[in-house]
Amino acid sequence: MVVVESTGISDVGRKRKKNEDSFYIDNSMNLFVVADGMGGHNAGEVASTIVVETVRDYMNRFTDNNIEIEELEDSDTSLSKEANRLISSIHLANKGVYSLSKSNESYENMGSTVSAVLFTKENLIAANVGDSPIYLIHNDSVELLSVPHTVLAEQMAVNPQRAKMLEHHFKHMLTQAVGIEETVKPDICETPIYKGDVLVLSSDGLSDYVSPEEILDTVRREHPQKACRALVDLANERGGNDNITVIVLKVKDKKNRNGLLKGLITKLINILK
Amino acid sequence: MPTLTLKFKDNVISEYVLEKEKSLNIGRREDNNIVIDNLAVSGHHAKIDSVGEGFLLTDLQSKNGSFVNEQYISSHWLQQGDIITIGKHNLVFKYRENEAKPEATGPEDMDQTMVMDTDAYKTMLAKSTPNVADLPASKTQAGEPAGILSFISGGTGEIEISKKLFKIGKASTNDIVVSGFMVGQVSTTISKRPSGYFLSHEGGSKPKVNGNSVSESVKLKDFDVIEIGSAKMKFLLK
Repeated sequence: MVVVESTGISDVGRKRKKNEDSFYIDNSMNLFVVADGMGGHNAGEVASTIVVETVRDYMNRFTDNNIEIEELEDSDTSLSKEANRLISSIHLANKGVYSLSKSNESYENMGSTVSAVLFTKENLIAANVGDSPIYLIHNDSVELLSVPHTVLAEQMAVNPQRAKMLEHHFKHMLTQAVGIEETVKPDICETPIYKGDVLVLSSDGLSDYVSPEEILDTVRREHPQKACRALVDLANERGGNDNITVIVLKVKDKKNRNGLLKGLITKLINILK
Repeated sequence: MPTLTLKFKDNVISEYVLEKEKSLNIGRREDNNIVIDNLAVSGHHAKIDSVGEGFLLTDLQSKNGSFVNEQYISSHWLQQGDIITIGKHNLVFKYRENEAKPEATGPEDMDQTMVMDTDAYKTMLAKSTPNVADLPASKTQAGEPAGILSFISGGTGEIEISKKLFKIGKASTNDIVVSGFMVGQVSTTISKRPSGYFLSHEGGSKPKVNGNSVSESVKLKDFDVIEIGSAKMKFLLK
């Protein structure tokens, strides 16, 4: 069981009138989600809300062990059961947003990013669609666990020279988002984590202004709660053009097989004394 | 009203005055307001429109593209000191002294996140840089290198790291089963992250990478040698 200290803030920023971001924190499921909505009027808000609620409700079905639940099909054998569920929840959210946008004119073309982190008994699963980053801070390094689905990032991978030419115009141009097309292709990774590791999920309202190194410095210096507030404040000080949502998670404890074995040895030693 | 100074290298060729509610066309052909006689310039290359208080530069889907301050643009709100590059010529946009400059327009709209439709994305990229259109347009087409474990001893052949979280240990549920007295049920995992493959110790005796014990996790490099219990493997990116 992974014990996580978590904190989240969503701020409207300095320029926008509405907050189209949504986030969700659940310490019993160990599920954490950030969604950055887009679309006219209040459609962005609607899209991001549908996304977090769908992921939450879908994942929640598996918490009651007494009930046998049918898993969605198309499960990917390269992934664990839990990772497959998280992927399914995003597909379901995509269907929800997509069908509403098609059925209601005022929601036309609405969409949302999604970045979700789920802790299993021993590991961490991170899944995303869009450009809301998920950073893993381990010791003194910061690493992006999400895959940015932006024109710029994808071009950077194949042709950095061309990407530089596109930079100005395509800064906020996504290659995919939840609810825009009939299907969506989330990226996902599973990895072991360690006590003291910190995860930061955010909307681009933070990452446009604050570098990964600054995020590393902030979470190394402050407790999650303070760090979260400091990051939001920094993004606002530097312009706050967009909504800013930040979740900071700190792994407080991880009881694994190793821990059990060590516990047993300690007990034995105590008995022998 | 602001002016546009047409330059070739350091030589000023001529100067044009922008006027309100008037459009200026730029291109190689004679019917443009600003004629640049050079083969790198399209017949009708770009235009500048007076919109509200500002001036908007739009590339007319020219062959070699329009650039502002060395950035590729398809449209751009001109601001004091902007340098427009068309072919090998530059146009410098400047307000006259004491002239009122409009508040910066445009960037605000730029901050709106938008989703590109896939087909439009490919067409746009192909058009924006014709000389590199042959290159793959997306990462999936380019094909990411796949991690492979090749046995040196304690096993035979090559095994692809086919899972996002690949497990190695004593238990039969692992992706690679290895023997050894102190080897953990799950001894080691290899996780595939966006930045590469990471080897992590899970339980029992510690795995070794290039002879060094790993107690937490390390990023694997091509040709790293991994030892777990009786197995010795080489990590390869193919």
